[in-house]
Amino acid sequence: MRVASRARSTAKPTSAVTAIVGLLFLFPLGYLLWGALNLDGDLWGTLASEATLEPLAKSLLLATSTAAATAVVGTALAVLVTRTDLPGRRFLRVLLALPLVIPSFVGATALLAAFGPGALISAVPRPQGFWGAFAVLTLLSYPYVYLPLLGRLSTTASSLEEAARQLGSTPRRTFARVVLPQLRTTIAAGTMLVFLYALSDFGAVSLLRYDTITRAIFSSRLFDRPTSLTLGLVLAVLALAVAAGERLLVSRRERQQIIGSGQTVYRLGRARVAAAAAVLVVVAVALATPILVFAIWILRGSATIGTGFTGLGDGLGFLIAPTINSAVAATVAGLVAVLVVLPVAYSAARRRGFIPEAASAAVTSVFALPGLVVALAVVFWAIQAPGPLAGLYQSFPLLVLAYVLNFGAQSMRSSQAAISAVPTQYDEAGQTLGVGARRRFLEIEMPLMAPGLITGGGLVLLSTLKELPATLLLAPIGFETLATRIWGAAEDGFYAEVGVASLVLIGLSGVLTWLLVLRPELNRR
Amino acid sequence: MKRLATTMLVVLALTASSCGTSEETITIYSGRTENLVGPLLEEFTAETGINIEVRYGQSADLALLIDQEGDRSPADVFISQSPGAVGFLAGNDRLRPIGGDVLELVAPEFRNANGEWIGMSGRVRVLVYNEDLVDPGELPESVFELTDERFRGRVAVAPANGSFQDFVTALRETNGDEATAAWLAGLAANEVQTYAGNTAIVQAVGRGDVPMGLVNHYYNLRAKAENPEVASRNYFFPDGDIGSLVIVTAVSVLATTDAPDLAEEFVAFMLSKSAQEFFSSETFEYPLAADVQPGPDLPPLATIGVAAYDFDQLGGGLERTKELIDESGLESP
Repeated sequence: MRVASRARSTAKPTSAVTAIVGLLFLFPLGYLLWGALNLDGDLWGTLASEATLEPLAKSLLLATSTAAATAVVGTALAVLVTRTDLPGRRFLRVLLALPLVIPSFVGATALLAAFGPGALISAVPRPQGFWGAFAVLTLLSYPYVYLPLLGRLSTTASSLEEAARQLGSTPRRTFARVVLPQLRTTIAAGTMLVFLYALSDFGAVSLLRYDTITRAIFSSRLFDRPTSLTLGLVLAVLALAVAAGERLLVSRRERQQIIGSGQTVYRLGRARVAAAAAVLVVVAVALATPILVFAIWILRGSATIGTGFTGLGDGLGFLIAPTINSAVAATVAGLVAVLVVLPVAYSAARRRGFIPEAASAAVTSVFALPGLVVALAVVFWAIQAPGPLAGLYQSFPLLVLAYVLNFGAQSMRSSQAAISAVPTQYDEAGQTLGVGARRRFLEIEMPLMAPGLITGGGLVLLSTLKELPATLLLAPIGFETLATRIWGAAEDGFYAEVGVASLVLIGLSGVLTWLLVLRPELNRR
Repeated sequence: MKRLATTMLVVLALTASSCGTSEETITIYSGRTENLVGPLLEEFTAETGINIEVRYGQSADLALLIDQEGDRSPADVFISQSPGAVGFLAGNDRLRPIGGDVLELVAPEFRNANGEWIGMSGRVRVLVYNEDLVDPGELPESVFELTDERFRGRVAVAPANGSFQDFVTALRETNGDEATAAWLAGLAANEVQTYAGNTAIVQAVGRGDVPMGLVNHYYNLRAKAENPEVASRNYFFPDGDIGSLVIVTAVSVLATTDAPDLAEEFVAFMLSKSAQEFFSSETFEYPLAADVQPGPDLPPLATIGVAAYDFDQLGGGLERTKELIDESGLESP
């Protein structure tokens, strides 16, 4: 009896916090609702019109197929670099996370310059339309699946694998029947993130000429705001429904998991060369090709150095402050995002019930919105804030809040997968021994879920590094990041500067990913 | 004792006021990127001692931001790359009419009738073409010829782009809604290729993906500066054809500014000789004031039309422009 009542008393504050966090993430939706209802728009007319439905169908097609492709690519890559004897796997582990940091409009511009008739590599067709958008988004967003899996793969149950092997199961069969099922929740979480990311993308789809709903949101944002806000609302509601639906499905099939360490490394044998080649192709297209294009832009544009514009003329000093700003903002956003959504992730993974599920769906839905919509929603609420809160407008804390609202889903999905992988027996054992709830959480469960939390924070970090609309509208005045520099240069065709800043951005994200995400992971083992 | 106190007060007051002048600051939201305006802002501060805080972004996004901020906007001045974005703010009563002395620095056709915004530089609409794919002899005399059969599938436009929308609005002003709608529908029927924006079109033309496209003139000048071997060339429609009209970039003062005098001082500076020379020689644009001449590669301003349309005179405003583009069947990327 005593045990049960103590458990309940800790549940209460957590669900209160969960509800508050959930409400916080509903603010963008509230802004869209307000706009769609108050601005004299023709709500039903907009919803039912062909001009809405056709791009919406295209968005869904693109998001679904990209998500499916990244599930395969991300899983295969994560397994290859953690659980096999693939040559160079430690180095590849960092490299493979980096495409996520390339802003989609830069990635698309670079790949357009690289492939197609008359381009760098004319044997590959020019990426365009559905297939172009599908390929580019897959290559830029598979790390949403890949990175959380790195964390999960280091905690799968090694005892089960050993048992299977001792019972005579072949390595391949053991992997398929024992390891893969344990990864399912994490793969589903990452795939969901890709789905939402593809829905929200504007940069790549517009450059690759695939007409999705985000294009309609952008082209009507100034002169037809009711339509723009109504379409944003459609995206948000769609994301809410998908997120809630996915949770319902997951809750049915989830089962108790066992956690372990010291996992088996599988020998690739004759497949080693083929596997290495496949990984190299991904690195070559998603990372090496953009880097090569950046290098060409820099060499070509060096002729324009010193033409009187700011930038390359005064050396690379102009990138120092943006680099520091990017690193600080991304690290803080990653950390805060993990902490803010942890209560939601924990109660959704452990307790279920309406409030945790609704809060979890709310957090998830924001990620489907284009960054500009999220940024304007934050402006809408912050500018009306009463009293001393008004002073927060365009301050660093508010900027971090905007990042967390936009990308919280990434941290939450990773965390949820990690938490549901931690067996509740450990917690129950601690409870029976009379250990307090806080100590049980910090000393028993936290270390087991840490890898998932860290990789979730890592996703937010990488997304923040490339974030643009919120940074432009909400950063303290004069606060430049590498992403804003890249945007400014690209806007006017200063491609040499785009190249330099993009290379620094990729380098910085490599260093941060290694230091903050992958190294703690390796040390832990 | 009393005298000492008075002296101290005077000294204090003087110190305070001198601090005040050295800390005068205006906040600018700039739709022009730092590359295209940063050096001018520094020059302004060096010349006047007025500090500038600047937020860069897309003109349309910053206009939305200012509108959303309403009475609490920290901005004093808004610089827009397009008349559309300042027009949106003027329509929502977010701008403050600029004083007569400053207004008169530019000709009336380069500014809003109520003086709510004022043009500071101009860019020309051109047809950019790939010299390997297009024989200069076959280039059209007028933008209206682009609906001819011989251009089927060979022309790129950017329907979602602010400059294209500005051009269509200007077309409505000069030729009426009906002719504009017919031209747009003709483009769609002629399988025009749609792209995300000016830069995307200039790059596609340079690569040879599409032989020609409607853009602003300076994108190709930038492209050539970065890569002299690029095959894209600018073509100006001859004889004052509306295809090559000038679209102004604008500067405006916010209705909510707490420093209107400083803001106007800044506006006047942007129309001064040194700023206008910067636009002419550094950003390859048309200067609009102080008798500064455009670069040698550009046809003289007198020979081309000017778009500085007026909201009040244009039925339905820019919303109607967007409707016309949507209705024409031009599929945007």
